[in-house]
Amino acid sequence: MTNDQERPAADSAVDTRPLPPRDRRVAGPSPAPETIEECIAVRDLNLYYGDKKALAGVNLSVGKNRVTAFIGPSGCGKSTLLRCFNRMNDLIEGVRIEGRIELHGRNIFDQSVDVAALRRKVGMVFQKPNPFPKSIFENVAYGLRIQGVKQRRILNRVVEKALRGAALWDEVKDRLHENALGLSGGQQQRLVIARAIAIEPEILLLDEPASALDPISTLKIEELIYELKEQYTIVIVTHNMQQAARVSDFTAFMYLGELVEFGRTKTLFTTPRNRRTEDYITGRYG
Amino acid sequence: MHGPRQNWMQSGAPWIWLTAGAVSVSLLIVFGLLGLIIWNGLGHFWPAPVAAFASDRGATQVLGQITGEETVPRHILTDAGEPVPEGMMLVRRYLVKSGNRELQGADFAWYVEPAMGPISFPADAVVLEREDWGNFYGYLVAIKEQGVTLAADAALWPELTARLARRHELRDRVRSIERDAIGAINYALEQLRLDRRTLELAGNAGAAELEAITVRERALEQRYATQAAELATLRQELARDALVIRTAAGAEVELPLTKIVRAYRPNAMGLFAKLGHYAGKVHEFILDDPREANTEGGIFPAIFGTVLLVIVMSIFVTPLGIIAAVYLREYARQNLLTRLVRIAVNNLAGVPSIVYGVFGLGFFVYFLGGSIDQLFYAERLPIPTFGTPGMLWSSLTLALLTVPVVIVATEEGLTRVPRAIREGSLALGATQAETLLRTVLPMATPAMITGLILAVARAAGEVAPLMMVGVVKLAPALPLDGNPPFLHLDRKFMHLGFHIYDVGFQSPNVEAARPLVYATALLLVLVIVTLNLAAIALRQRLRKAYSAADT
Amino acid sequence: MASQRFTHHISQQFDNELEAIRSRVLDMGGLIEDHLNKVLEALSNADADLAEDVANRDDQGNAYETEIDERCTEILLRRQPAASDLRLVLAVSKTITDLERVGDEVEKIGRIVLNLVTADVPRSFYLSLLSIGHHVKRTLHRALDTFARTDSHAAVQVAGVDPEIDEETNAIMRQMITYVLEDPRSITRVLDIVLAARAFERIGDHANNICENVIYYVEGKNVRHTALEDIEREIGTE
Repeated sequence: MTNDQERPAADSAVDTRPLPPRDRRVAGPSPAPETIEECIAVRDLNLYYGDKKALAGVNLSVGKNRVTAFIGPSGCGKSTLLRCFNRMNDLIEGVRIEGRIELHGRNIFDQSVDVAALRRKVGMVFQKPNPFPKSIFENVAYGLRIQGVKQRRILNRVVEKALRGAALWDEVKDRLHENALGLSGGQQQRLVIARAIAIEPEILLLDEPASALDPISTLKIEELIYELKEQYTIVIVTHNMQQAARVSDFTAFMYLGELVEFGRTKTLFTTPRNRRTEDYITGRYG
Repeated sequence: MHGPRQNWMQSGAPWIWLTAGAVSVSLLIVFGLLGLIIWNGLGHFWPAPVAAFASDRGATQVLGQITGEETVPRHILTDAGEPVPEGMMLVRRYLVKSGNRELQGADFAWYVEPAMGPISFPADAVVLEREDWGNFYGYLVAIKEQGVTLAADAALWPELTARLARRHELRDRVRSIERDAIGAINYALEQLRLDRRTLELAGNAGAAELEAITVRERALEQRYATQAAELATLRQELARDALVIRTAAGAEVELPLTKIVRAYRPNAMGLFAKLGHYAGKVHEFILDDPREANTEGGIFPAIFGTVLLVIVMSIFVTPLGIIAAVYLREYARQNLLTRLVRIAVNNLAGVPSIVYGVFGLGFFVYFLGGSIDQLFYAERLPIPTFGTPGMLWSSLTLALLTVPVVIVATEEGLTRVPRAIREGSLALGATQAETLLRTVLPMATPAMITGLILAVARAAGEVAPLMMVGVVKLAPALPLDGNPPFLHLDRKFMHLGFHIYDVGFQSPNVEAARPLVYATALLLVLVIVTLNLAAIALRQRLRKAYSAADT
Repeated sequence: MASQRFTHHISQQFDNELEAIRSRVLDMGGLIEDHLNKVLEALSNADADLAEDVANRDDQGNAYETEIDERCTEILLRRQPAASDLRLVLAVSKTITDLERVGDEVEKIGRIVLNLVTADVPRSFYLSLLSIGHHVKRTLHRALDTFARTDSHAAVQVAGVDPEIDEETNAIMRQMITYVLEDPRSITRVLDIVLAARAFERIGDHANNICENVIYYVEGKNVRHTALEDIEREIGTE
């Protein structure tokens, strides 16, 4: 079954002949990814900070090897939802979670789930670049060292691969043992991405990864996201709607803790179904 | 007139002046204090000229170093029965250190100017520093060897210097035998005695074992006899020479050379000779043992005790404080209870230090120390080992005193580690403990060192609690020596702070002690500054490595 | 859906810019309509001067197109519009192209009318042109009206008129063929009239496109090359 993305757009010449009806799935609101393997499934997720409900009845499906973007105004719960995927919210006191998040069908909130193992599978990159005050090499090798890898040969190989994967190798290969804090903001963010992919996660969570960077660094990160999509399932939270439109395959619009609309990025940004989505992405008053 | 003044007030200038003034006053006080200590402390070692004059209108001849002068109203002198010429309202008088205590009864005496004859500085006046009885002032008459006077026309002074050098060499050998060889033998004998006692206490003393001990005791006693014989020979050698000195009054006194530490003629010395003498005195002060109830000689044991105390205290307080802070900040739930604990910790820092001393004496010395003695050192009882004040209890008491500082500083450092760094580590699959050990703690190290610096600064200056838990006026042995287990934390020790108090207030010879108080205080300040600088240098290096904590 | 146009952007300036291109499109439409009226007037009154006037006025429409096109480019560049805003800009951009083509056709018709009038062609000869011309004029007017009112339902109805115009053109063709068969010398006139009819038909097509643009703008659905009934169904379900 073809969808609009693959549909040729060559018919621009003036042609007024009424054509026989053919594929009529014209920009229809049907985001169901038939050919896409489901990676994460969120089911009826509610999250409370103390008495305050931060996420209300979220249902969502993240496709494998796709980029899914969460957009929405500040405080809408998009980061909170993202941080549920690797249980980062466990660190915050007074958080209560109802519902399920399934990773390949297994509920990550299950008692038997090893949180550290989950986080190795679901890597995360934060808004502000947060390299450790160690050398570039040690930053990338951190995850492996935690897992007890000591052989220099393996570390060297993995570090190089990760840095290449994060498009940083050529810039830093001559100064691997210098302090990572000497890198520029954009380089630091790519270093953090390298650090995350060094332990070969399945999923990469990016929490506003470019919001603290200059436009060129932002573009480099976005370019990187395109490349990483081949191997990883990516979920990105962003304030920048254009960025979401540029990098993502699917977009979820969240508002006041609710998932207002979820669909193919192209559809959502041209013909949103929901009035609040429309108002948000066009920059109108609610 | 009103306008400009109002403008001036509004310009904020008075405020700047006020604040800057406060800073200036503080700086003046600090530098004034340091200046006073440095001037008085350092001046002590300078070889003052020896003055010779007649006093009591020619009745007595005086030879000595003028150490002070003052102008007093006449009635003070007349009240004391001193005759003062008519018409003089203010009288100048001099404090002269004329030594020769065994002859005159006192080292120092006041001389009133009107009664004094003209002051001269004879080049051949000699100052002799002795092991006992303080300084001796006089003129060198002759040197005797085995009671026989050497040719009086020979160059006496070079001869004296040479013989003094020989005396020092012999003296060092005597001391080394006394302290090291015989000390080790005594220590071994004591151990054997304790072994025997242990066997007896255990009640199953086999004859063979006791016999073995006796055999070893015999061997040791034999070694002791050899050493004692050598010692006796050396002592005889030492006693060979004597000096004949003529005092200011004209009496000739024979002094054995063995008791003389240093001989010099300040009036004949050039600048470089004086500088050399000065360096020698400072060297002695820093590296020698005290003499004469701490008023002469050096203060090495006190410096050593202070530094060792601070180091041992740091070894106790650092892990304790850091672990406590890590628990409070990283693991404990942040609720009312942790807040209370934190308040309590902060307030602990405000408890008067003498209270810690009392606690240390009651809990550490009597309770803990007593129990340890009962359990492990029963053979030594009734002589206590740990059940008496000592280095261990002092350092523990100080550790207790300074642990709040370390906790607060460490907590501060942990708080400053950005959340993002922790999350970054956790997101890579690290556990909380791994995150702590690999990233958070290294980044908080500069703060921990800051805490340690504050703790050291506080601990090195504390005296009051130490008086109850281990410090003494004169310790027989250093807490660190060549006998196993080398570090003797059960021993009592000397401390610079206490030394200042002791010399200043407990000394029989107040005038002689006063400059030493300053010199010791200066040294204490230097020791603390050195310790702090070392810690600060360490912190700077760490900060460079973990600069993220500051951004 | 229709009410969304009454909420405002956070940026008032953005609102103004969007409103400006919309009203400029309507101005342009008004101008083109005016030209069409004049050409029809010239045809019906055999007014050579008026016809010539219209034949030389196309540059006005071109100027409008250039200006609005620049404004659209600027909005795309500055505002990166999304959703309905994006669709509006795209619809405007396409609409002005259509209007500019209409202007071209009107100019072409003007020239033909000038030929016919100066050649003293009998009026009966081109009465049928007047009929289709009025029909097309109404259609264009209604198309522009749906654009002004952003009324997608009306747009569907207007789009339904197009086949009628096609029919009419075909009728004129057949009529003209009979003229040629009757009198081969009339071939020049007949060709002019056929070309004019063809031009009117093109205007009708462009009007139809404008309606489709309105549907795209309002409904977000690309209805070009889609059967009318299907369009009606699509919109009806919403």
